[in-house]
Parts: sequence; C-alpha cells; structure tokens
Amino acid sequence: MSLLTDWLIVPLQFPFMLRALLIAVVAGACCAVLSCHLVLRGWSLMGDAVAHAVLPGIVLASVAGLPLVVGAFAAGLFCAVSTGWIQANSRVKSDTVMGIVYAGMFGLGLVLLTRIETDQHVMHVLFGNILGVSTGDILETLLLGGLSLGFVLIRGRDLMLQAFDPTHARAIGLNTGLLRYGLLTALSLTIVVSIKAVGVILIVAMLIAPGAIGYLIADRFERMLLTAVASAVASGVVGTLVSFHLDASPGACIVLTQATIFALVLVLAPKRGLLATRRRMGLLARQAS
Amino acid sequence: MMTELLVPFAYEYMLKAMFISALVGGVCAFLSAFLMLKGWSLMGDALAHSVVPGVAAAYMLHLPYAVGAFITGLLAAGGMAFVRQVTTLREDAVIGIVFTAFFAVGLLMVSINPVAVNIQSIVLGNILAIDDEDAIQVAIISVVALAVLLARWKDLMLVFFDETHARAIGLSPIRLKILFFMLLAACTVAALQTVGACLVIAMVVTPGATAYLLTDRFGRLLVISVVMGAVTAFIGAYLSYFIDGATGGVIVVLQTLVFLAAFVFAPRHGILAARRVVRASQVTAA
Repeated sequence: MSLLTDWLIVPLQFPFMLRALLIAVVAGACCAVLSCHLVLRGWSLMGDAVAHAVLPGIVLASVAGLPLVVGAFAAGLFCAVSTGWIQANSRVKSDTVMGIVYAGMFGLGLVLLTRIETDQHVMHVLFGNILGVSTGDILETLLLGGLSLGFVLIRGRDLMLQAFDPTHARAIGLNTGLLRYGLLTALSLTIVVSIKAVGVILIVAMLIAPGAIGYLIADRFERMLLTAVASAVASGVVGTLVSFHLDASPGACIVLTQATIFALVLVLAPKRGLLATRRRMGLLARQAS
Repeated sequence: MMTELLVPFAYEYMLKAMFISALVGGVCAFLSAFLMLKGWSLMGDALAHSVVPGVAAAYMLHLPYAVGAFITGLLAAGGMAFVRQVTTLREDAVIGIVFTAFFAVGLLMVSINPVAVNIQSIVLGNILAIDDEDAIQVAIISVVALAVLLARWKDLMLVFFDETHARAIGLSPIRLKILFFMLLAACTVAALQTVGACLVIAMVVTPGATAYLLTDRFGRLLVISVVMGAVTAFIGAYLSYFIDGATGGVIVVLQTLVFLAAFVFAPRHGILAARRVVRASQVTAA
C-alpha cells in the first residue's frame, strides 16, 4: 500500500510535475471531445495533417516576435483550408492532397528552421516538452482549450447532425460551412494546445484513440463522449506518472497508455469486444444446431 | 560563380547523397503512381512511422537497420489488418491508432536509452552524414524494389484497375497486393534514410499526383513520375549543401512546388485550363 502511495505522491512534490499533469489532463480532455467527432466523420487523419503543418507557422511566428500559438494556429488552418480547396479544384484524391500539403508545409518548416535562428527547439515541437511548461503556458492552454471545447460541446448536436445527414442539416437551416470551418478551427486550436504535451507527431493518437475507445464501449453519443474523456484523462495522469518513474518520454508514455486501454477495450468491450462477439457467435451456433 | 555552384560535386559525401537520393526518389515515385490512384496514400505515412521502433532496436543491437525496419513494418501492417477485421471502426482511425502506438514504442525505447540512437536522424533523415553501411543497404533495397517494379508493373496495373479481368487472365490479386505492400515497406525503409519518417509520405505520393495532373496515359504517368521524383531528389540534395542541412525538407519543398505548378498550369487538368474551358463554354452559350 505504502509503495503505491509513494509511487503516486513522490512525483506530486515537484511543481513541474503538477504543471505537467495539469497540461496532460486539459490537453487530453480537449482532444478526447474532438476525437469523438473526428472518428465518426472519418476525419481521423486530418488531425495528423494539421499537426505537422503547424511547424512553419511556429518558426515564422518566432521570427516575427508574435505569440507562437498565433503562427501555429494560422498555419494549421491554412493547411486544412488549402487541402479542401486544391481537392475541390483538381482530380487528385483527397487523402493524396492532404499528404502533399502537409508534407510540403512540414518540409518548409524544417528548411526555415535551418535558415533562421530561433529559440524554438525542433525536438520540443516534434515530441513535446511537457516537463518544461510555465505558468503562462498553462493559462494559454486553459484559454484556448476552453474555447475549442466550448464550441464543440455547444454545437455538438449540430455537428453530429451534419456528419450523419448533411442534406437534412441544410434543410433545417444549419449553416454547414460555418460548422465545418468551426470544427477545423477547434481542431487547430486543440492541436496548438497539445503540442506542449505530446508533440506534433503523436497528437494524432490523442485525436483518435479516445474516440475509438468510446465508440467501442458506448452506444449513445453522450456516453461515448464521457468514456472518451475519462480514458484520455486517466491516460494523461498514468502516462505522465509512468514517464517520471521510468525517466522516459512523457508523450510516448501517454500515447502508449491510451493504446493499451484501446487494446483492452478491443478485447473486453461488453458488446463490441472480441470476446463478446465470439460469445454471441457461439450462442448463435448452438441455437442453430 | 560557376565554381561555387560546382563545389558540392567535389565532395564524395555530397555525390553519395545526391545519387542515393535520386535513386530513392525514383523508386518511390514509381510506387507513388499506384499508391495515389488507389487512395492508399496514408498507408505510406503510417508505415514510415511504424518502422521507427524497428530501426531503433536494430541500431541498439548493431543489426542492419533495414532488418528491424522491415519486421516492425510488417507487424504494423498485420496489426492494422487485424484490428480492421475485428471492429467496425473506420479504416483511417485504425491506421492512426496502430501507427502512433508503434511510433510511441520507438520513442519510448530511445528516450530510455538515448545514447544508442539519434531519434532526430530517424525522424528527419540525415542523408548528408549517412555511413557507408547504411548507404549500401539503401542502394540494395532501392535496386531490388526497382527491379521487381519493372518486372511486374503491368500485372500490378491490371490488378489495381480491373481486378476481375486480372483474375480472369490468371493473376492472383491477393498475392500481387501483398507484393505491393512489401515493395511499399521497402521503399519506406529506403526513404527513411533520405528524408526521414515524417516526410516519406511526400516521396511516395507527390510525384505520382503531379504526373496524374499532366497525362491521361498510365505508361506516361509512370515515366513523368519517376523522372520528377529522381530529379527533385537529386536537386534537393544538391541545394541542401548550400543551406547546410535539412535535405529532406528541401527535396519535399521542391516536389510540392512542382506539384503546385502542375496544379495551376497543367495543360488540361490545371485550374487555368479549367477556367479557360468554362469561359469558352460561356462564350458559345452567349
């Protein structure tokens, strides 16, 4: 017992660990809410694209002396919008356009980084820097995360309707363009917030796994949302603590905790899990014979 | 002035980097013609990230890096196929979960044992400082992949465009698809050394997409794609000498610029051409 409490209490005596846990929980929760919409819409990899594309924005903002989040946000949104535009105006498939645009922007970011002296460490952008966050970072995260969370929660029903039945959504007078770009904006904000926690490469995991876990467990959207947020918050806490004790990358530990939960749910989920499906098949076979 | 431009050719490491990049760029471009037509573009990205733990393990155990990469690449592809089969989750979500989990394992290994591997060179590539052993592996992988592609590209084309017809003339679609994914894994592994895990996707997508905007015949598409892939990779490596690094970034930015040029100016499928057609039809209508 005391061993367990030690395991939990010791890290909490360091202020940097408290800040890290807070960021992990807030970023995890924002990503989880968004991930439910992304997973249902088939937008999962949009998060990957936008996350990579923020790199040139961060470099340019740091040159111009602007807040980094402004540059990152602008670049992320630019990636999403230009992908949509190129796709609408050419015969190339959407996933291909997405790949071209974000890889091009990420490449540009790398080139800019070697040409321009910045205080931005490329490794921190790639893999996150959760143990080095300041109080200002936390305020920023709470503000931007809150904005994105607010939009997605308040317009949740409309977003769902648009995802499942766009014609009906238009018929009852929803502004579908506004919803679409609103969701992209929320996505960019969430990514900007989560870079500190896990870095641009692993953000996509935080934007998919919780939604997928919720999808496997719950039948109703509200429950899916709750399950997703709960799993993301738990992963944020467990991952950060594990990384402290192993002296390992916090981003990797958080993402692996989520992946472990996903794997468990995949097997054990009450209705859609592997075991449940197998049991059902066995029952059917017995009834048939 | 002229001599300054020729400086990179005087260094052996630059020559090595330029020719290996061109070779890898050409093979990846060959593959990209198939990949982008099938809508499998993001598989290239997923595989490139999934091989990272294998590469890290291989460096830690002093094995050839390609062996580790290949094993984890196949494991990841198998994992995706398995999860896809047992759930109703969308394919893109499954791909995303599996490849990030693999990448996270790689990152975890490197963060616990940071001395053995330089994660930055895996993720961002480091062709200017590649050692001979790795360069030989890249060359072998690329040449073998190129040979297989040259021998089987017609069969692959048949299977991808008309599976029924392919089956009727005695080709096995399953076997050819497996072959294709093995080739994709091989190219990813080779491209990893040139441009790094994050940018592999551009090498296996952009040249094919560019060629697709320029021609309607598959044979020509292949030629344009390969030429563009090899030339941009060569020039990219050359230019990176002058900015002292970021070879992968330069190559990919070049490829993206060529794609954008084709997107605007392509004779029939560019946006300018499309505007012209619209205007012409308005004139005839009026």
